[in-house]
Amino acid sequence: MHKYHTVLAISSIAIGLFVMGTLLGMMDLQLTYMDKAHQASQPSHISLMLRRDVDFSVAESIKKMDEVNSVDIMTQFTGQFKTTESTPWQTGTLLFRSDYLNQKQDQMRLLAGSFPHDKFVAIERLSAQYAHLSLGDTLEIKTPNGTEILTIAGIIRHPFVKPPSFGGQLHVFIAPELAPTFNIPSASFRQLLVQVKPPYNPGKVNLIAGEIRQKLASQNIPVNVTLLQNPDQHWGRAIFKGIHFILTVMAWASLALSSVLILNTVGALITQQTDQIGIMKSLGARRYSIAKIYLSEVFVLSIIALLIAIPLSAAGAYYSSRWLLDLFNIELSEFVYSPKTIYIMVAGGLIAPILAALQPILQGASLSVRYAISSYGLGADFVSTRFDRWLELKIAACLPTIYAIAIANLLRRKARLLWTQSVLIIAGVLFIVITSLIASLNLTLNNELDRSSYDIRLGFIQDQPQEIINTLVNSFPNTQSIELWNRLPVELSVKDKVIQQVGSLGMQMIALPTNTSMYKPLIVEGRWFDNSDEQQQHLIINADTAALNGIHVGDKINTKLLQHTAQEWEVIGLYRWFAGTGYTVEPVYGPLSTLQTNTKNEFKYSFALLTARLNSLNEEKTYLEALKTVFQEHPIVLDVYTTIAKREQRQFAENQFKPMLGMLLGLAIMIAIVGGIGLSGTLAISVLQRTREIAVLRAIGANSNAIFRLFMLEGLLHGLLAWLISVPTAYLVAAPLAKKLGLTMLNMHLDFVFSQLSVLIWLIVVFILAIFATYLPARNATKIVVRAGLNY
Amino acid sequence: MQNLIKLNHVYKAYTQGQLTTPVLQNISLNINTGEFVAITGPSGNGKSTLLNLLTGIDRPCSGEIIINETALQLLKEEELSVWRGLNVGIVFQFFQLLPSLTLLQNIQLPMDFVNKYPKRERLDRAHYLLDRVGLTKQAKQLPGQVSGGQQQRAAIARALANDPALLVADEPTGNLDSATAENIYTLFSALQQEGKTLVIVTHNEDLAKTASRHITLHDGHVSSDQCLSKPV
Repeated sequence: MHKYHTVLAISSIAIGLFVMGTLLGMMDLQLTYMDKAHQASQPSHISLMLRRDVDFSVAESIKKMDEVNSVDIMTQFTGQFKTTESTPWQTGTLLFRSDYLNQKQDQMRLLAGSFPHDKFVAIERLSAQYAHLSLGDTLEIKTPNGTEILTIAGIIRHPFVKPPSFGGQLHVFIAPELAPTFNIPSASFRQLLVQVKPPYNPGKVNLIAGEIRQKLASQNIPVNVTLLQNPDQHWGRAIFKGIHFILTVMAWASLALSSVLILNTVGALITQQTDQIGIMKSLGARRYSIAKIYLSEVFVLSIIALLIAIPLSAAGAYYSSRWLLDLFNIELSEFVYSPKTIYIMVAGGLIAPILAALQPILQGASLSVRYAISSYGLGADFVSTRFDRWLELKIAACLPTIYAIAIANLLRRKARLLWTQSVLIIAGVLFIVITSLIASLNLTLNNELDRSSYDIRLGFIQDQPQEIINTLVNSFPNTQSIELWNRLPVELSVKDKVIQQVGSLGMQMIALPTNTSMYKPLIVEGRWFDNSDEQQQHLIINADTAALNGIHVGDKINTKLLQHTAQEWEVIGLYRWFAGTGYTVEPVYGPLSTLQTNTKNEFKYSFALLTARLNSLNEEKTYLEALKTVFQEHPIVLDVYTTIAKREQRQFAENQFKPMLGMLLGLAIMIAIVGGIGLSGTLAISVLQRTREIAVLRAIGANSNAIFRLFMLEGLLHGLLAWLISVPTAYLVAAPLAKKLGLTMLNMHLDFVFSQLSVLIWLIVVFILAIFATYLPARNATKIVVRAGLNY
Repeated sequence: MQNLIKLNHVYKAYTQGQLTTPVLQNISLNINTGEFVAITGPSGNGKSTLLNLLTGIDRPCSGEIIINETALQLLKEEELSVWRGLNVGIVFQFFQLLPSLTLLQNIQLPMDFVNKYPKRERLDRAHYLLDRVGLTKQAKQLPGQVSGGQQQRAAIARALANDPALLVADEPTGNLDSATAENIYTLFSALQQEGKTLVIVTHNEDLAKTASRHITLHDGHVSSDQCLSKPV
C-alpha cells in the first residue's frame, strides 16, 4: 500500500477510536468513581436541615421509628473567618459532628492530619485548594464574643459540597466542644441524617421522610429542606445525565465519521490500483481472493490504529475524568482505565473500518479485467453525467481557467465530495449550534437578571424584625431601596395526593408584596400579582411542575404551609423556572399579606432585597461583605445559600455551565479536526489520482506556484462550500437543538438567539482548517516530476 | 539556417536496482529552425526518451542539450517549467486535455500559466488558434463531447498557445484512425510552412514521409538521418 495512504488510513481510524475511547472511557470512569466515592461515604437516604438546634433526644426518637435503620447528626452554620490578618472577613460554613471517629452516614474522610480537636480545625479539601490553605495555617474565626485563632490540623473530604468556583462556600470543620463558643448548645444538632431499613426503595424513603417531618413538626421543629439520596448512585449523576447522552452519541458519531474517512481512503486506493486488480484478475484471481487481500490490509491497519488509539484514549479518559471528578470533590490519584471501553474500542475498531471498506473493496474486486487494465488520457477514470457536463460548461464559461479547474475538481467525485463535506458540515453545524447555545444561555441569564431589579438579596437563617433589618441596611449610604419578603416550606397537593415537583429539595413559598418592584419571573400563562391579590389565597407555580401534574391556571390546590392546616389556594399564573443543574428548592409565589395573616407572623421577614448604587462586581462584593459583617455583629445569621449578589450569582451560574459547554466546544473542535483530516485525505488522494494531470499542466508551462494555488484553491472551495451549507442548516436546526440541549444538559428553558458572530468565526476557522489541511497535499503536488507523472 | 536544437554527446541510461540500461548513447545532432523532423524506430530504442530530453521533461546523464541558446541540463525543475511554457509546445498521444475545461479554455490555460500575452488578448488568441485548427464551432464544448481527431487538433492548438519555436509530438496519430491522422499530417505540414520547428516521434511511416527530415534510432544510436526535403 502507498505510504501516504497507509498513514492516512491509520490516522483516520485512530482519530475516530481515540475520540470514542476518550468519551466513553471518561463517562465510565466518571460514573464508576462517583458511585464508588458516594457508596464509600455511607450516604444518608434522608437528610433533613432543621431550622433550629435540637438536642440528641430528638435523634433518638427518630431512631426508634419502625422503618429507620440508623440516624446520624451534624451541625452546619454560617460563620465568618479570615485566613490572614490582611485579608477581609469572608463568610463560610462551619461544621461539626458529635464524634468524628464514629461517623455513620455521609462520612467525611480525613485526607491529611487529624480530625478537629480543641482549638485545632480541619478544612475541606476543595476549600483548601481554593483558598490555598494547608496544614499548620491559622484561621481567625468570629464568635459572638470576639474572635478565635484556630490552627488547621486536618484536611477532610466532605461528600456533598458545591465547589467554591461554582459559588460554594468555604467549609471549616470544628471540634464539637467548640460549639458553645458560637452560642450553639452542646449535645445539639441541626442536621438529621437517616438511613431506612433495606431494601432501598425511593417511594418508601419518600414516605418515611414525610413521617419524620410530621413527627418533628409535632415537636415544633420545622424542617427547612429535605434531601433524598439514592445510596448506590452519586447525586451528581442527574447533572450529567443529559450531557452523557450527547457525549455517547458523539462518541459513536466520531467512529462513524472516521469510517467515512476509511471509505474515502480505501475507495481512492482501489481506484489507484485498478491496473493491479486487472493484472491479478487476468492471472486468475477471483473476486473473493482480491477482496480478501484488501480486507486483510484494512484489518492490519485497524490493529495498528487500535494500538495507537487505546493508550492515547485511556490517557485522555483518565485526565478528563480526573478533572471532572475533582469538581465533585473526588480525587483520582492513581492511573485507572475503563476495561469496558477498551472492549468496545477493540470491537468497534475492528468492525467499523471493515464495514466501511467493504463497499469500495467489493466494487473494486468486481471490476472486469478489460476495464481494470485499460488506461486512457486524463479524465478516463471518472464518469461524467449529463448534469456534470452542464455544470462544468456553466462553470467553465464564466471563470478564469485555474478557478474553473479547481471548481470542476471539487465536483468531480461526488461520493468523496459528499463524505468530505458531510464531516465538515457536521462540525460547522455543531460549532454554530453550540455557540448559539452559549449565546442563548447568556441571553437567558441576562433576561433573568433584567427581571431582577435588586442588587443584593439577604437571606436570614431565622426570620428577622423589619426595624432591625431596615436600620442595619440603611446604615449604608449606598443603599437606595429595600423590600422584605418571607418564605415558608410548603406542600402542595391535589385530591389529597402530594404533587410531583421539579425542584430536587422540595418546595418553598416565597411570599412577596403584590406590587413588588424587585422581581418578576417570566410568566408563561396566567398573570403576575397585582393589588387585587392582597389577602387572597393566590399562587403562582412553576410551569413544568404544573404540566407534570396537569395543573392549570384557575385550578384550586391544597396548600400546606409548614405545620399550618392545609387550605385551598387558586393558581393564577405559571412561571418559567431557571433552575439550572444544581440541587434547588422550588419556589411557589404567594402574596406576602396572605401569608402573614395565615401564619400570624406580621413583623418578621426571611429576605431583604436591596437596590444600591453599585457599578461593578467588585463594588457589589465589597458591599455584600460589609453587610454580612454588620448583620453578623448584631448577631443575625445570614443563610449562605440564599444570600446572594446578583452579578456574582450570574458569574457562578456561568462557572457551573462552563465545563459542559467547554466539553461540547471541545467536541466541535475535535470533529472539525476530523473534518480537516478528511479534507487533507481527500486532497492527498486527489493529488495522487491527478498525478498525470499535474504532469500535463507542468508540461504546458505551469510552475510550482500555479500548481500549489490550484490545490489550495480547491481546499478553500471545499471549506467555502461546507460553510455555505452549514450556515443555513445550522440556522434551521439551531433553535430546536439549542433548546433541547438547554433542557437536557442545563435543565433550562433557553431564550434562543442565533449567534451571528459564530457564522463569521466558523468561516475563518474553516478557512484556516482548509489551509492547514491543503498545505501538505498541495506541496506534494508541486513536487511531482513531469516524466514520472506522465508515466503514472 | 539557424540551429535551434543542438545535442552534444548526450548519454541517457535508466537504473533499476543494480541494473543500468543505456537508452541513448552518445547522441549528437543539430536541428535547424523550420525543420519538420520525424523520429522513428522500434519500440524501446529511445525515441520517447529523446523527446523527453528535448522538452526538459527528462535530463541527460551526460552531454548537453542546447535549445534556442538555453542549456537545458543547467536549468532547475522550476526554471524548466517556465522555459517549457514559453519555448515548447507538446502534443501527447492521448491528447491530455483537461476534461473539465472547454476546448477554448484548454487553449487559454498555457497562456494563463506563462503570462506571455496580456490577459485581454488571450481569449482572442485562443479563438484564433481554434479557428486555425478548424474547431471554431466546438470552442465551448468539453473534450469529452468531441471526437478523438478534434481533441488532438485542440491539443495542437493548445501546444501553439504561447507561440513556441518548437513543437514536439509523441505518437500524435497513434490513437486516431487513418483519415483523421491525415488531417493531422496536413496541419503539421502547414505549421512547418509557417516556420515552426517540429519534432515528432511516430511509428507511422506515412507521417514520417511528410517530414523534411527522418531520423531513425536503433539501440540508442542514430542509425540513419535522412533529409527528405528542405526546411522552410
